[in-house]
Amino acid sequence: MRQRAGATHSLRQRLLRAVSVATLLAWSLTGVFSYQKAQHEAEELMDGHLAQSARLLLALVRDNEDHLGDLASRLATVRGAHDNIYEPPLEFQIGRSDGTVLLRSTDAPALPVLGVAGHSDIERESESWRVLNMPSADGKYRIQVAQSIALRDQAALEVAGQTVFPVFVVLPLLLLLIYFSVRTVLRPLDALAEDVAARTPDTLSPLPERNVPQEVAPLVGALNRLFGRLGTTLENERRFTADAAHELRTPLATLKVQSQVAMLSRDPQIRDHALQQIENGVDRATRLVNQLLRLARLDPMSQLENSQAFDLRGIVTETLQAVRNANPHFTQVIVEDLPEHPQIVQGDPELLAIAIRNLIDNAIRYSGLASTIRIHTHDDGRRCSLSIRDNGPGVPPDIQSRLGERFFRNRDTNVEGNGLGLAIVARIVELHGGHLTAGNHPEGGFEARLDGLQQVVGET
Amino acid sequence: MRLLLVEDDALLGDGIRAGLMLAGYAVDWVRDGKLALNALLDHDYDACVLDLGLPGMDGMAVLTELRKQGRRLPVLVLTARDTREDKIGGLDCGADDYLTKPFDLAELQARLRALLRRAGGVASPLLSHAGVELDPATKRVSKLGQEIQLSAREYALLLDLLSHPRHVRTRAQLEESLYAWGEETDSNTVEVYVHHLRKKLGADFIRTVRGLGYQLGNDS
Repeated sequence: MRQRAGATHSLRQRLLRAVSVATLLAWSLTGVFSYQKAQHEAEELMDGHLAQSARLLLALVRDNEDHLGDLASRLATVRGAHDNIYEPPLEFQIGRSDGTVLLRSTDAPALPVLGVAGHSDIERESESWRVLNMPSADGKYRIQVAQSIALRDQAALEVAGQTVFPVFVVLPLLLLLIYFSVRTVLRPLDALAEDVAARTPDTLSPLPERNVPQEVAPLVGALNRLFGRLGTTLENERRFTADAAHELRTPLATLKVQSQVAMLSRDPQIRDHALQQIENGVDRATRLVNQLLRLARLDPMSQLENSQAFDLRGIVTETLQAVRNANPHFTQVIVEDLPEHPQIVQGDPELLAIAIRNLIDNAIRYSGLASTIRIHTHDDGRRCSLSIRDNGPGVPPDIQSRLGERFFRNRDTNVEGNGLGLAIVARIVELHGGHLTAGNHPEGGFEARLDGLQQVVGET
Repeated sequence: MRLLLVEDDALLGDGIRAGLMLAGYAVDWVRDGKLALNALLDHDYDACVLDLGLPGMDGMAVLTELRKQGRRLPVLVLTARDTREDKIGGLDCGADDYLTKPFDLAELQARLRALLRRAGGVASPLLSHAGVELDPATKRVSKLGQEIQLSAREYALLLDLLSHPRHVRTRAQLEESLYAWGEETDSNTVEVYVHHLRKKLGADFIRTVRGLGYQLGNDS
């Protein structure tokens, strides 16, 4: 999934960000807690050392009561150094229970040796001390040990820092691992995107549905169904274009050949005939172009643009009049079988008139010169239907299912036609929410029926 | 020369027939595939102009069946389908040539002339015999360079004889070549036109083969 700058958001980046932030947060909290805990433990440890040292000193003092001077100089060499933070110098005062100081280290804070027993933090001359006051078991002596809090803190920080350090050293490695994991896991999506990108209108083969992650499978399924529908639509489009090209070439060839005959011939009779045929050819081409344009306009419509309520009977009568005006010499008998009451339907009267006109023209052209054509309308209070039936020869049963297919015509008749009429009717009826049925009637003849026209009730 | 035109479209068929008749051919026209196959098998046509989209039987099927029956007459296919696959399919089915609609009448005539010439085993576009030359493209006939005026029927008869230079042509064959279906003929017309041609081209130009028919005379 290649990312266009700023235009879209990337799942991978969001996932990376979310996982990284969560990990950083959890890791930082772990760090902070570990740090505090380590610091605290270090302090406890040092307090323990302080107490141990105090008891040790008390024991030393009791055993060396007679030469305490020596003890002081010896202790001065072993009581720790400033440059080693894990061994901060131990300051001490040792006295009797009456408060007289027997012994003290050089830098010990100036405190009365009889303080409150136990641990305490004390400030003296801008320096903070951790102090432990302890009497000997027999109560004869009193010892006071102290450590500089600054040095103790330094040691505690060092311990805590060393404890937390590995946690933060590992962090970049962890982030790197997250990055690679996310990339690897999302790789099937990249492959799918490449697969989809490789599709063109000519290669709409379905995407492989095996080995597809469970989360992506619905998407792949939906895409494949879309490809299927798209392929069918494109195929129909291509066939229609090919058919249209085919159907337009014959009238053009006619015009070309007939005009060349007219030019070449010196016989006026042949020339006049050819000119007459040119005119017929232009008429035919005009009909074809009109029908094609009509279909082209009807095809993209998803609903009627000019829908109104009107009386179906009125449209039938008007259309029939138009047919009579256009072919004053037709020999068929047309029977109008319309009810007395109005049949108000919702729809586009102009389009319905075109449909009815097409069906009547078809009946006149295909049913034979002496046939009877019956136009009947019917309503059931909700839906109206219209039937145009003749008593002619009908159509061969094997082509019945192909009627209404664009450019299909029954070639076994000598009637001129372009095979678009029924397709136009079917499309118009479809836009009215109904459907066209065309075929041989069980009792003979051919019948075309428009069913499902929406009736408007409550109007007279 | 007699051609069969197979075209289901009334207006186009009418135009092609008129155009071919202007070129001096006798033209029979059928509009259905089955009728076309029957006509081709029953009669001796010099060539056929065949549309592919036909009722009854598809043009391609007519062609396949015709070739299966061993008929070798030249067939020129007319069609509105213009993809490469259609053209290749048509030629592989046994068509000799191919024209896509819409086409030029002069081109159709020229291609037919070429087909007929090759079918007669003649390479030169001019037909000649004993100093007489016939140019099918211009329909001009000359003898020793001198142009000679012929009627349409005389021309058709001469064209037939020159196209079959080593064959004896029966009277029935010549009649077929002169007249399309439905045209009136009387019993001695071929003799009448032979007589006219002999007067214009020389008495020895056409030889009568007793009991059989006519043939071109010796090339002197």
